[in-house]
Amino acid sequence: MGDSFSKLLSVNIDFEQSHMFFPKIIMWLLFLLFLLIVVLYGRKFLEDLKAGRRSIRFFEENFDKIRLFGTIGVVILYFVLMDYVGVLFPNTGLGFLLVSIPFMMSLSFLYVHDLNKKKTIIIFLNSIIAPTAAWYILGNLFNITLP
Amino acid sequence: MKQAWKVLGVFLAVTALVWANNASAADKSPIKGNIRIVIGSKSTGGDTYQNSSIVAQALAEKLGTNVKVDAVGASAAFKALEKVSSGNTLMIFHDQSYLGYLYGRKGYEDIFTEYTVGPTVAINPGNAYLAPKSSPYNSIADVIAGCGKGEKVRVAIQPGGVSEIGFSALKNAIKLTHPGKEGNLVAVNTGSQADKNQLLFDGQADVINGSVQANEQYSRLPAEDQKAMKFLWLTARQETITQANEQGMGETTRAMLLEFVSPNQSVTQDGKKDFTFDKEFFFLYNKDMSQEAVDYLDKALTEIFAEGKIQETQKKSFFIPNFKPSTEAQAYLMSKKDQYRVIIDAIK
Amino acid sequence: MEFLSLLSPELFLFVVAGVIVGIVFGAIPGMTATMAVAVCLPLTYSLDMVNGLGLLLGLYVGGISGGLVPAILLNIPGTPSSITTTFDGYPMTQNGEGEKALKTGITSSLFGGLLSVFILFFFAPVLADFAIKFSYIEKFLIILFALSVIASLSKKSMLVGIFSGVLGIWFSLIGTYDISVGGNGETRLMFDFMEYHLESGFALLPVLIGLFGLGTILEEAEKGVKDEVQSVNGAALSAATAKAGKFSFSVFKGQYVNLFRSGMIGTFVGMLPGVGGSAASVLSYTQQKNFSKDPSKLGTGAPEGVIASESANNGLTGGALVPLLSLGIPGDSTTAVLIGAFTLQGLQVGPLFIGEHLDIWHSMVVALLSANIAMFLIMFFAIKYIARVITVPKYLLYPIIIMMCVVGAYAINYGIMFDVWTLLLFGVLGFVGSKLGIEIAPFIIGFILGKSAEVYFVKSLESFGSFTIFFTKSPIAVFLWVLILVSIWFSIYSSKKGSQA
Repeated sequence: MGDSFSKLLSVNIDFEQSHMFFPKIIMWLLFLLFLLIVVLYGRKFLEDLKAGRRSIRFFEENFDKIRLFGTIGVVILYFVLMDYVGVLFPNTGLGFLLVSIPFMMSLSFLYVHDLNKKKTIIIFLNSIIAPTAAWYILGNLFNITLP
Repeated sequence: MKQAWKVLGVFLAVTALVWANNASAADKSPIKGNIRIVIGSKSTGGDTYQNSSIVAQALAEKLGTNVKVDAVGASAAFKALEKVSSGNTLMIFHDQSYLGYLYGRKGYEDIFTEYTVGPTVAINPGNAYLAPKSSPYNSIADVIAGCGKGEKVRVAIQPGGVSEIGFSALKNAIKLTHPGKEGNLVAVNTGSQADKNQLLFDGQADVINGSVQANEQYSRLPAEDQKAMKFLWLTARQETITQANEQGMGETTRAMLLEFVSPNQSVTQDGKKDFTFDKEFFFLYNKDMSQEAVDYLDKALTEIFAEGKIQETQKKSFFIPNFKPSTEAQAYLMSKKDQYRVIIDAIK
Repeated sequence: MEFLSLLSPELFLFVVAGVIVGIVFGAIPGMTATMAVAVCLPLTYSLDMVNGLGLLLGLYVGGISGGLVPAILLNIPGTPSSITTTFDGYPMTQNGEGEKALKTGITSSLFGGLLSVFILFFFAPVLADFAIKFSYIEKFLIILFALSVIASLSKKSMLVGIFSGVLGIWFSLIGTYDISVGGNGETRLMFDFMEYHLESGFALLPVLIGLFGLGTILEEAEKGVKDEVQSVNGAALSAATAKAGKFSFSVFKGQYVNLFRSGMIGTFVGMLPGVGGSAASVLSYTQQKNFSKDPSKLGTGAPEGVIASESANNGLTGGALVPLLSLGIPGDSTTAVLIGAFTLQGLQVGPLFIGEHLDIWHSMVVALLSANIAMFLIMFFAIKYIARVITVPKYLLYPIIIMMCVVGAYAINYGIMFDVWTLLLFGVLGFVGSKLGIEIAPFIIGFILGKSAEVYFVKSLESFGSFTIFFTKSPIAVFLWVLILVSIWFSIYSSKKGSQA
């Protein structure tokens, strides 16, 4: 009995296959936990849903479509252009600098409410000064690699 | 509002001008602008970084441009090198670059066909094999004989490259001297030097791969200390160690180090000649980098090494200067690779 | 006392300069202490050994401490080890106690830092001999112990919390089973076409700032970024910090045990190579939660949470230097960079280093001590101005945060564009995930610890070939199991108590 028990607990890991050993355990664990959640909470969730105590609305009510998707769009554009422009000026960090300025400007204008002249000027200054300072101090003084 | 746009416009124009100005200053050279050297190691505390920054500093002075070393690691370095053919991105790595391919590891391709192999710059002569001070094995010959007698010897290595090649050679030597017994030499696959040392302390390995730099102090601990180790074998060539500074490393002098290399410690490669392995650092270029750029860097490095200053810096950090211009380096490394291929194939 | 001759006023200047730059690096979301040390490493070529080390140690202490600023004020951990600081620090800011939280954090940092220097100085060689008793098995158990915190961190349901944590582990495993940790270099958990980009997996820093930084900004964007400055219970924060939540040292009343225990945990975890710095503050935070008189308060803005987290992550500094100086092995990622400062000067660290270089050793201890004190003085009196960060309108602050996160993500692995995309990916994942009920805190802890858990687990089994070894290896292993069981029992117990109340 003791013998078969220790056999049950013994493992032999083939090095060439060892990269899947732990991930498999984790995936089983994830699957079991998911089942457990469904079993324990699933029914109550459905009942709540029927009774209208819970909704499956993903976004908040009246969510700000422009600002949310605008942010994602601007960020994607920012990353793509940064890489692209960076290749034109190798190892100078100019890709970062030249793309960060318009990026910061567009995001600020996207977020700001009740735009007035003072805010506009501040946004412009902020969008120029912040990336330039970051580029100069980090990229040039500290020699950090920038796109 | 309009004013603000003007400010922005002026600013961008000025930046562009400044850049254009900088670029035109270095007009004559085939490589324009700043140079980035990516290395095959992620560590800024390791030998690849240390060696590369010595070379980068010398190059920056010689070429009058910014040269920066980035420790991005092997696969990211190869990718970065593939992307830029202008010579603004170069790579420095060591024998791992082709050994990884010979051992069939992911992320490694044949550097001789995928890239241009550039000049070699230095050797790290420290690759070593060690045992606990209390071990019955006092030399690498004892290990070979022990395996021949049927004793199981566990060696802690990092698989798939520089750390494994000495192990492979040892296995090959056992196969040649005691055919059929090579299975007694067992690899314990692990990672960093810390992990290898730990396996020795735990008694989970009998011999570990290490280095003169990292393990020299352990070899001077009193025998009763659990951490005490002794060198069994340095894979470097005798002529390499002979070039080191006389005081060696720490308290271990060059004369003492010479005890651990061939022919004093013999691991046969083919029954006639001893196996040796020097970890050599060399440049790798993008396949499409122009011949002018290759020559330009060759010339700069030739001048740097002719001046003789870099050699002193290298030796101070326990590197052996080893400059070979591109074409010579290519032929040399190619034949080195072919020798190791034979060994790796023999024990497959 | 020969080393006194090495102690020039210059050394102190370098230390203070290091501390200031370090604090700035730590305080910028996306920049870390490791980065600060790495970028300044080349500067030390031209300095002599002692001054160079003074600068780097100043950077190390400053960087680790500076991380609490964005953690408390913006809910973005400035360095990975300040994750647990956000749990209570940010709620305190929301309650108008930002300044109090910052000062509590800084004082705890000072204590943890000094404690660890003390331990380093008097016990380094002894502790190094103790640390090597921790093989793969004990290290795995330490990580398991840290992971057990996941259960008690869950805000809503323990089960969902554990699910989130395991999901975090799963994400950390994507990529190569790295050769440099002893793996076989094969990729997993991806399709072939993803291999080119995903080979190295997701780096911790971009994941972290993606989830906490970009994720939060996306949530705000969904709501329309309505308040231009952060508000506290309706009132503008600038007014709130001025009056509510004044700091006084009485915060620490009844917290001495916590301070000391957390500092000790930090120092000890720092000592174990490979376990990772972030585990220190996670562990001490759990312990505080387990031992606290009122565990339900933790996570809602309790100073004791900030104390536990900050005392531990500064305790780490001295701890991580123990194996570096007495075994030649770095205890965490920052000391791994620090080792370069020694080799570049032609010095090897190893078991004989302290004995053979007493002068350097003594001046390092002096540098560490003065770095901790300088950090405290500088931060304590600069806090008033630092706290104003949150009065910057969001339409200016958010673009700056994203830009700095990009710099950090790109720079962490010395210039890899994929890390920047990771930032966006996890920003969106964090946004979507929290809508679906995934809990971010357990997720990130799983992500941080997942990889080392794998290596130590698989390597233990490779060496011993049986699961029983985890229970029978050593008395240390048995002791760790007791701790793990107690920790799990506590979290079940307190969650039951919480649901009854």
